[in-house]
Amino acid sequence: MGKKDLANVTADLSALASMMPTQRTGAAVSTPAVREPAPVIKAVPAAVPKAERAGEGEEIIQFSLSLRKGLRKQLSRLADDADMTMRAFVLNALKVQGLDVYPDDLLDLRKERR
Amino acid sequence: MSIITIATTKGGAGKTTLARLILSRANLSGYKVAAVDADFNHTLTDWVTAVSKQPITVRHELDETKIVPLVGELQDEHDIVVIDTAGAASQATIFAIGCADLILVPVAPSAADIVEAIKTVNLIRSAGQMLRRELAVKVVLTAVQPGTNIAEHVEKEVAKANMPVFPTRLHRLVAFQEMSFTGIPPTSGLAGIQATNFLDELEALGALPETKKLAS
Repeated sequence: MGKKDLANVTADLSALASMMPTQRTGAAVSTPAVREPAPVIKAVPAAVPKAERAGEGEEIIQFSLSLRKGLRKQLSRLADDADMTMRAFVLNALKVQGLDVYPDDLLDLRKERR
Repeated sequence: MSIITIATTKGGAGKTTLARLILSRANLSGYKVAAVDADFNHTLTDWVTAVSKQPITVRHELDETKIVPLVGELQDEHDIVVIDTAGAASQATIFAIGCADLILVPVAPSAADIVEAIKTVNLIRSAGQMLRRELAVKVVLTAVQPGTNIAEHVEKEVAKANMPVFPTRLHRLVAFQEMSFTGIPPTSGLAGIQATNFLDELEALGALPETKKLAS
């Protein structure tokens, strides 16, 4: 067993890692390895004060997309591992890509419906 | 050279105990060992620096951007690098998983341990898909109380979840707990036998290097 080549580990796992919280202190001001770490959904307040609710009043629309069954399973498993709904998981990924996703968008709507 | 990562998103499952056991027994067998402690409680670091009298290199590192380079650096001078992770999913855990030749997932006898082990194994499989290679993973049953209903139940639940199980079960034994105070790994009695079996099975899995840097 020789020396292990670890060259691609960081790059190949960056997308998965970006869905997890960081352990770094002061992560917000330091330079991340690949991309900004995703926020932990549990930390999102259940009720955001009205004044802070960006996007409030904007129409909510339904959006569907087709994808391979295997990808759907992976998405479900990754969201479950991150303790997030699939909706929040996807929106969070879009936020990482720079879209305007607000804290309210990441709330678990299933709990509100109960 | 071998990299062994110990991970589960459940705290208290026996990650650090397992790390201590592997590091100290492998060192007694003549391997040059190093540890990366990625747990914010730095329990392993404290044990190596203040309790263990063995020549074990240890680095406490929480920054996920530094885990892979650190392991790369340590593998130059050591036979075995053991990475102990925090009891929660984090970016550091993902990269520690990606570095490993073998990932050990300890499971103590509780429902939460099994649930978190399933999540961890799924996370490891996802990481394997992204790395386009199969990551070797074994669930290690810890704090086992043989002959009890709960021990039997845990075995059944782990089998039902289709998780690969490490052959040696580590029982709830005083010698494993004493190691945290004395720094001395068990070499005799039931704990000693289990520790020996554990190392033998690591070797059989190909998780220990064939040559030793310290061999004399």
